[in-house]
Amino acid sequence: MDGPVIEMSGVRHRYDDTLEVLRGIDLTIERGEVFGFLGHNGAGKTTAMNILTTLIVPTAGTARACGYDVVEQRREVTGCIGYLPADVRLYGHMTAAENLEFFARLSGVADPRRAVIETLDYLGCADLADRRVGAFSTGMRQRIGIAQAVLHRPKVLFLDEPTAGLDPLGVRQLRETMLRLNQDLAITVFMNTHLLSEVAKVCTTIGVLNHGALVYKDSIAETTRRFPNEASLEDIYALMEATSA
Amino acid sequence: MIVTIAAHQVQSLRRRRVLAVFLGLVVAMTALAGAIGWSSHRTIVRVYNEAVTLLAAEGKTAPPNPFELKPSLSLLSNMVIYIPLIGALLAMIVGHLSVADDESSGLGRLIFSRRVSRSSYVAGKLAGTAVVIATVLAASLAVSVIALLVANGSLPGEGDLARLAGFYGLSWLYLMLFAVIGMVTVLVMSRRSLALLSALGIWLVITFVVPQVTSGLRPTTSLNPISDPAGTSEAFFRVTNRARPFSISEQYKTAGTQILQIGIGDTTAETLLRVLPIAGLLVCLAFLTAWLVGHHDYSRSTSDG
Repeated sequence: MDGPVIEMSGVRHRYDDTLEVLRGIDLTIERGEVFGFLGHNGAGKTTAMNILTTLIVPTAGTARACGYDVVEQRREVTGCIGYLPADVRLYGHMTAAENLEFFARLSGVADPRRAVIETLDYLGCADLADRRVGAFSTGMRQRIGIAQAVLHRPKVLFLDEPTAGLDPLGVRQLRETMLRLNQDLAITVFMNTHLLSEVAKVCTTIGVLNHGALVYKDSIAETTRRFPNEASLEDIYALMEATSA
Repeated sequence: MIVTIAAHQVQSLRRRRVLAVFLGLVVAMTALAGAIGWSSHRTIVRVYNEAVTLLAAEGKTAPPNPFELKPSLSLLSNMVIYIPLIGALLAMIVGHLSVADDESSGLGRLIFSRRVSRSSYVAGKLAGTAVVIATVLAASLAVSVIALLVANGSLPGEGDLARLAGFYGLSWLYLMLFAVIGMVTVLVMSRRSLALLSALGIWLVITFVVPQVTSGLRPTTSLNPISDPAGTSEAFFRVTNRARPFSISEQYKTAGTQILQIGIGDTTAETLLRVLPIAGLLVCLAFLTAWLVGHHDYSRSTSDG
C-alpha cells in the first residue's frame, strides 16, 4: 500500500445535541510511524479513534485507514486495523487462548489456533494461554489485549490509553512490545495517551488535540528542535495547551 | 461469522454454568411433572383396583379405569405451567447474558472493530440462544419420554411422540420470545441492573397481569374455573374477550394443553391460530433487536455489573 496509512480530512463529530467533539480534523500519518495523540480529557482523542476504527460515523468530513474509507469500505478497514480500547475486560470466564481464538475467527484468520499460539509466543506470554482471563492482573490483561489486536497482523494498531493502570514494569513491557511490533512487523502505531514520558521514548510523531481541534502535529525530533527552551515534552505540551486555549 | 458468534455464545454460557443450571432446572421440573403425574396415576389406579375388588365381591360391575379415558400425555400436564413460570425466566436470563457482556465490558468495541456486520452479530446471538434453548428442551423431551415409560409401562406411540415434539416446539418458540426480551432490555436500558429488572417486569406482566385483564376477567370464572360456556353481552367483557389474543401466556397454555390433548375444544386450526401471536411477536422482537443493535453506539459502554 502506497501513501499515508491514516488520513483524516475535515472530520467533525457531534454526539446527539451536545457540543461538537471534533471540529474539522486534518491529519495524515505515514506508514511505520508511532504516533502519539495527545490532549486533555475530553479533547476528542477517543472519538477520533472510534471513527478510525469504524465504530462511529463522523458527522462530516472523510477518514481513511490503509487507503480505505472508514464509512464506505468498513470491511476492508477492519481487515487492516488492530484495536485495543481503554479498559477492555475480554471474556473473563474464558481462557486467554479461547478469547484470542474467538477474535481470530472474527478477523477471518485462516488458522485461528495457530495464529493464537504464534502471537502468544511472539509476545512472550504463551504461559497465559490456558488461564482464565478473569483472574489476570491489569498488565497480563493488557498483554492479551495487545495479542488480540495483532492476531491478524494488521497494518495499523490503535491503542487507547494503553498504559492506564499499568505498573512501571508493565509500562516498560508495553513500550518494548510496541517498538517490536513497529520494527519487526512494520505495524504503524496510533496511540492515545497522557503519559508524556512514554511518548518521548516511543513515538516518532505527535499530534495535539485541544477542544476538538488539531493544534499541533510534527515529529518528536522536529518538536524538540522547535521548542529549544523547553526541558521536556511535558513542558512543550503545557506550552501548547496554554497557547491554544 | 454467524456460526462463530453462535458457537462462542454457547461456549460462554456453558463456561458460566448458565447452560448447566438451565438444563438442570428444566430437567428437574420435567421429572417433577412426571413424578407428580406418576404418583397421582398410581394412587388413582390403586383406589380403582380396590374399588373393582369390592364391587366384584358385591357382584357389581366396575366402571372403566379412569386412566383409560384420559389421554396418556396428561401425566405431563404440569409442564404447561412450569415452562411459562420457570422456563421463561431462565430463558430471559440467557438472553440477557448473551448481549450484556458485549454491551457493558467494552467487548462490543472489539467485536465491531472486526469484520463483523451488525446483522451477522444479531443472527449469531439468536442462533446461539436458539441452540441453547433447543438443547435444554430436547433434554426435557427425553425425560418426558422416560417419565411416560415409567408411568404407563410402555414407550409412547408415534402419535404421542409427535404431540410431545409439537409441544416442545411450541415451548421453544415461547422461550425464545423471552430470551429476545432479555436481549432487547439490555439494548434499550443504560444499565445492566435496570435491564434485568425491566425484563423481570415484562415477564411478570406477560405471565400474570395480562392474563388477569383478558381471560382472567371472564364473568364465569368467579363461579367456575372453566372457559365461559357462552359469550357475554356486557360491553366490558366483550372488550376483554377481544383482548385475549394479546395474552401470550394464555395462548401458550391453551395451545399447549390442546397439543398434549389435555384441553378440550379447539380444532387444529384454532390451536395453530393460538401459536401465531407468539410467533409473530417473536419475529417482531427479533427485528427490533436487529434494529437496536444496528443503531447502538458500541463505542460507549455501560459500566455497572
